[in-house]
Amino acid sequence: MFIKYRLLWGGLFHKKLRLLLSVIGIIIGVSSLLLMNSFGESAKLKTLKEIETFGPEVIMVVAGSVRVHGGRAIQTEITTTLKPDDAEALRKVKGIKYLSPVFNGDAIVRYLGNNLTTIINGVNEEYILIRKFPLAEGRNFLKDEIFGYKKVAILGYKVKNQLFGNEDPMGKIILINKLPFRVIGVLAPIGIDASNADQDDQILIPWSVALSALYNVDYIRSIYLSVESLEEISFIEKQINEILLKRHKVSERNKDFQIIKAEDILEVKTQTTKLFSSLVKSISILCLLVGALGVTAIMTLSVNERKKEIGIRKALGAEDRDILLQFLMESIFITLLGGIIGVLVGVAGSLILLPLFNYPLVFPWSPILISSFLTIIFGIIAGIYPAYKATKIDPIILLRQGF
Amino acid sequence: MVKKLVILKGITKTYYTGRIAYQVLRGIDLEVEEGEFLAIMGVSGSGKSTLLNIIGLLDKPDYGTYILDGQEVSKLSKKELAYIRNRKIGFVFQAFHLVPWATALENVLMPLLYRGNLKKEDEERALQFLTRLGLEKRINAKPSELSGGEQQRVAIARALITKPKLLLADEPTGNLDSKSSQEVMKIFKELNKNGLTIIMVTHDPEIAKFAQRIKIIKDGIFVEE
Repeated sequence: MFIKYRLLWGGLFHKKLRLLLSVIGIIIGVSSLLLMNSFGESAKLKTLKEIETFGPEVIMVVAGSVRVHGGRAIQTEITTTLKPDDAEALRKVKGIKYLSPVFNGDAIVRYLGNNLTTIINGVNEEYILIRKFPLAEGRNFLKDEIFGYKKVAILGYKVKNQLFGNEDPMGKIILINKLPFRVIGVLAPIGIDASNADQDDQILIPWSVALSALYNVDYIRSIYLSVESLEEISFIEKQINEILLKRHKVSERNKDFQIIKAEDILEVKTQTTKLFSSLVKSISILCLLVGALGVTAIMTLSVNERKKEIGIRKALGAEDRDILLQFLMESIFITLLGGIIGVLVGVAGSLILLPLFNYPLVFPWSPILISSFLTIIFGIIAGIYPAYKATKIDPIILLRQGF
Repeated sequence: MVKKLVILKGITKTYYTGRIAYQVLRGIDLEVEEGEFLAIMGVSGSGKSTLLNIIGLLDKPDYGTYILDGQEVSKLSKKELAYIRNRKIGFVFQAFHLVPWATALENVLMPLLYRGNLKKEDEERALQFLTRLGLEKRINAKPSELSGGEQQRVAIARALITKPKLLLADEPTGNLDSKSSQEVMKIFKELNKNGLTIIMVTHDPEIAKFAQRIKIIKDGIFVEE
């Protein structure tokens, strides 16, 4: 019945500005918590997407010593001891599906009047299968082109756009460091991969040409390979290690190469995002806590102001339990109201801000659940003290002179 | 023989402020029969409000026995006291003590909130009480929109809605002009005629005259006139 709830709840709506202020505190807390959580979820999704082009079945052998830092493998020392023969030698390891030597360097690329600097990756025909790079048009390298030192090139999506615009690049001749290459294919847009390199800003050419004609070296920078089955990956890694140690006549201690798996990169990457998101989460929980403390403060104030009302209710037969429940429910109502509005604001905010910062759009189901749950908990915690204080008010104050 | 509604024997109460003890009540004996209208007179600080708190079960005596409507109540728990207050006692205060945000009707219904479910009949009964007290046009007014006399009549309706056995009034006319005071006392007279037992505390001899019996309290004990 309506009047019953009027009698129980009427006091809450008596001071509207105060109600509004305490609700706003909760709104800020809840919406920031929700926003941070959905950014965290989205970042996780983003990382997973990035990792896709560097799958869990991929192993990288890098020359020199390498440090994995912030999710990227940084070559801290360059050595010239990793040779194309090493790559060929690894083919005898069972369970390897694809394998490609890689030499990468910068180059100036030219087509008609257009100049640009980009990354040149000298690879073989298996490279784009290892990295799962889809072709937008044209074709992959042929084995003969790799061994026949043919000057052919597959362009990254961005490079193609910058050099050719809307023009069809297939079969056209471009100049890479003044050497003519024929365009045989264009990669579909890929984006930034796990190693933070923009895979649309590159040109793939046969590694043989890269070594002999373009850079005049006899070593490669890395070897990419993928395995048939994930279960064997550690075993294959071990075999690669042994073969290369033997070939380079080095010991485990001073080895001149390093083996990196996607798993290693993912681990570091998720560790950093985890650290970041737990930091952000604790800040937003702090926000909610401050909001809840605001509710505690305002409810305590309200209890003090409504001493007379509480005394009257007690004189009229309210038990301590009735008073406790009444004020606890008022606090919970405030936090719940703030919580609902906060969730709406947070959801709207995520849906607007995620695309704005180039994060994948996710509907934040679990953040909503988490923030709603926390709000109710904080509402109860916020209400305990003022409600307890309310029960301690003695109705004998009603007969005091001047009260 | 007429039934005794209130029996107090040897009631004492001491308050402490810091290390100083004030013995407010020093052995009160009092018997009130059903249907009686008793006025307790005394100057401020004589202990009359404390006595009313104890009779109204808002406070407990240190020593002594209190039998209300045949039940020993001085040793009951807070919860049991709240239950008895709700069913047997109605209060009228000097400062009216209405809930400021609630309307006249809502104020009258407040005691029934603590009896479980409010029913439609309760609302009708509250309207009847308000009508009987001449407030039929003010049922949706807030206390701040009512005159002192009107507020006290709302408070009386609130005290009566529970059909109490005992009405306790603390200086019920203390904040009223003489016309409203006369009206309120007329209402009390009539309620008493219909069988309601009333204990009223006042310092005003003109108001005390409305009662059948007057007791005077001085320094925590009843004295002869």
